Order: sequence, then C-alpha cells, then structure tokens
Amino acid sequence: MTPTPGQSIRPERPRLRARTVGIAAALTAFTIFAAVRVGFDLSTFWEVWTNPLWEKFWPIPWEWVFDRENVLQPFIETFQIAVISTIVGCGLALPVSFAMSSLTTPNRPTYLVSRAVMNVVRAVPDLFWAKLMVTAIGIGAFAGSWALTIFSLAVMVKLFSETVDGADPGPLEAAKSTGGRHTPSLRTGILPTVFPDYVAHALYVFELNVRASVVLGLVGAGGIGRVLEAQRQFFRFGRVLGVLVIIFVVVWVIEQVSVSLRKRLI
Amino acid sequence: MRERRGAFAVILIVAMVWSISGLEVTLDRLLNAPGDAWAILRQMVPPAFAQVHERGAVGKIFESVYIAWIGTVIGALLSLPLAFLAAHNLSPVWIRGPIRQLFNAIRAVPELILAVILIPITGLGPWAGTLAIGIHSIGTLGKWATESIESIDSGPIEAVESTGGRWVSSIRWAVFPQVMSTISSYWLFRFEINVRASAVLGMIGAGGVGSELVSHLTFRDFPAASAVLVLTIGVVLTIDTVSAAVRRRIITGSVGSDDPSRSAEAMSDLTGIKHR
Repeated sequence: MTPTPGQSIRPERPRLRARTVGIAAALTAFTIFAAVRVGFDLSTFWEVWTNPLWEKFWPIPWEWVFDRENVLQPFIETFQIAVISTIVGCGLALPVSFAMSSLTTPNRPTYLVSRAVMNVVRAVPDLFWAKLMVTAIGIGAFAGSWALTIFSLAVMVKLFSETVDGADPGPLEAAKSTGGRHTPSLRTGILPTVFPDYVAHALYVFELNVRASVVLGLVGAGGIGRVLEAQRQFFRFGRVLGVLVIIFVVVWVIEQVSVSLRKRLI
Repeated sequence: MRERRGAFAVILIVAMVWSISGLEVTLDRLLNAPGDAWAILRQMVPPAFAQVHERGAVGKIFESVYIAWIGTVIGALLSLPLAFLAAHNLSPVWIRGPIRQLFNAIRAVPELILAVILIPITGLGPWAGTLAIGIHSIGTLGKWATESIESIDSGPIEAVESTGGRWVSSIRWAVFPQVMSTISSYWLFRFEINVRASAVLGMIGAGGVGSELVSHLTFRDFPAASAVLVLTIGVVLTIDTVSAAVRRRIITGSVGSDDPSRSAEAMSDLTGIKHR
C-alpha cells in the first residue's frame, strides 16, 4: 500500500481473538461466582468506620501491655521458637537440597522421592502442621517448634535446591574427575559457591518463621499468639490491639535488619 | 576467615541453647515425640473420605479457593494504581514515600492477625477471611509491582512525552505494555500463596477448610482429619501446578523465548533474593 500525501501508514490494530475473549469471560464469571460465595459486601468498607466495636479497641491499657509477665515473656518464647526451628530446619535442609537438585543428587530414586515428599510437605500450610503437632505431642511451644521446623525445612529446600540447580558445575566435575567421592566433591566443588545464598535464604526463612510463630499461639502452639487468643476470647479488644502494636513493631524491625543483612551477603 | 567461622559457630550454638531453654523441653518429651506422632499417623490411615464428604468438606475446600481468589482480586485491583504512585520513575518523592511505607506496614501484619481484628467487625465467615487476605495482598503485590515498574526501559516513556502525551498516556502506552505480563504473573503467584493462607484462616473461623480440620482434630477423629488433609493437599498441589504452568507461559511468552532462566529470575524476584 502506497501512502497518499498527508496520510501516514499505521500498523493495523490487532484483532481481538476469540480465545482471549473466552478466557476473559470465564475469569470474570468465576470471579463473580466466587464473590457471591464469600459474601462479598461493599458496604463493609464504609460501615467499618461507624462500627460501635471500634470503641472497644480503645483505649489501649499500656500498663498491662508493658507488664513483664503479660507480653514480654510470651514474646521471648515466640522468638525462641523461631530461632530453634530456623536453625534445625535449615540445617536439615542442606543435605536434602543436595539430594533434590539434579546436579548434585547421588542417584535418580533419591532425587524423585525427596522431591515428591517435599512437595507434599510444602502443600500443608504452616498452621495445619502446628495443629497436628499440638494434637500429637500436646499444647505448648514444643509442638510449635516442631511444626515450624518442618515448615522451614520445606521452604528452605525449595529455595536452596533451586540455587544449587543454578550453580556452576565446573568445580564439581573437576573434583569428581580427580576420583573424589560424592560427598567430599560436593563439599569442595559446590558448597563454597552457594554458601552465601544459603545464608541469605536462611535469613529469609527466619523472617517467615518470626511471622508464623507470632500466630502459632492461635492454635495452641505457644508464643505471643496464646495471649492474643486468650484476650480475644474474653473480648478485651484494647489489650488485643496493644499486643498487636508490639508485634507490628518487632516484626518490622526484624524485617529491616534481615533485609539489610541479606543485601550485604549477596 | 577461620576466626570468623568460629565466631559464627559459637553464635549459632548459643542461640540454639538459649532457644531450647525456653521451650520446656525435657529429654523424655524429646524422645517420646516421634513415637506420639507415629501413633497418630497410624490412626490416620485409612482416611475417611465418605464421612467428610457427607459433612460437606469438599464445599469447604472450594470456599477456601474462592476466598483466596477474591482476596487476590481485591489485592491486585487496589495495589496496581498504588504501585504506579510508588515507583520512583513515575512519581515524586512526597507521594511515593508514604505509599511505600504503607506497603511495608501492611506486609508486617500477618493475615491471621488482620482476621482477628476483622472478625468482630464483619462477623465470623468467609468475608472476614477474604478481606484479611485482600488487605495483606496489597502489601506484597504493591511492592513487587513497584519493583517491576522501576526496572522498565525508560525509552518508551520519553517517546510518549516527546509527542506531548500526558502522565496518564505514558502509563497506558509506555509502562503498561512493559510490566503487565510480569505483574499478572505475580498476581497468580500470590494466589497460590493465598490458597494456603485461606485454608489456615478457617482455623480461627474466617471461612474455609481450616475449621473442618480443627474440629476433627479436636475430637480426635483422625481418619476424618487425614481425609481433609489429603483433599487440601490435592487441591493445593493442583492449583500450584496449573498456576505455575500459566505463569511460565505468561513470562516466557512476553520475552518471546522459552529461556528457563527467566522463571528462575522471576522466582528470585518473588522471594526478594537476587542471584548474581
């Protein structure tokens, strides 16, 4: 087509494809259906502000919140759960991740089995693990630590095995070509190159664990959530809000520290 | 280097001892725990699918999926405009500063905590869970979207501005086409996370399958509990697989190649950990 003077050539506008329209319509229909099923209610957004319950959240009884026994003690417990489960979970994750990466796995069956098991473990949400552990070994922080250990292991192997997948295979081949056995070759050929990522992932898992351990108490697995649950059941919303403020500040600080550490590591 | 390694090991050991000291661990509890867990695991086989089906567990699982979907939609719709206002190449510092802080603040509050606040206001049920997930999603989705907007090529924006286009036009014609594929794959990724989150929300009465699991475990009806667990795992894994496939299609389609390193890159973006 030759341009006539005063007219420019424009590319033709792409036509809407039937498939695109179909996908859009299906998504919209599903969204509307789902919205009806969850009781979508726009009026909540403005009714929230006039809800008389807000007054119950106020004033926050600060002298209760800052009492050692009430909040500080359970908070330390929360922290201890997060620390121990991060260390144990990430420690266990190191060998499992090597088994789960096609680059470093000792043999094919180990690779397939560890992947399948870890996929199933990761599909169970963290608090489901907590509830299961509480039922199995009793209420308290001990059950919570078990649950979070399993959860950290599942998250860590996912993140770290992908790092191992992407590692440079050269040093490993060099180590193997000298006749090195499997485990020593991994230690000298792969581990040094991926270790900074390992620590960075572990810090990220620690952040997740702090957040998860805050809510563990809601199902009886110890930590600050236990206080939250108790006060909520007695409708002491002022105290609930006070605890929430503390949680918010602590989680915030830990995240900032962890993010800056991770940036320095990588 | 050797001293640093030693110091690192000492810190780890001290942290472990300190944590264990607070957890009421006795040797006898530690030794009994695997046995107790095994005893319950044995009672869980075989799962009582017929019984939980009669109680409507399947409907509850779908309710969890609906909660996650609507929560993601709410989060996506609210976070998208905010992300444009939070990107340093599109908005001035006095607007983007507060919005970034808002994202950070929202991310610091877990969904369950939001649900604890929302339940007295909306009442028990799926709507409380949906709102909690929707609000929490704004934080992460907003942050990811902002990051992908900030990493775009500035050429198209300059092109639109040079023709006299306004801010809105440059968003529509220069920014949108560059970022929407990445951002929509983030939405899907968040949906996968939200399915797990909404299952958990049921445990405190915010709708979905969590309430079923809690009631079966509380009454120590282990075959029923394991049936609920198996169904949940099945649904979660199915959604993960389908969604991951769609995300891969979106991401690789957008750069015109099926280079597998792209999805690794997206994964590292999503976890906030950058690879070298």
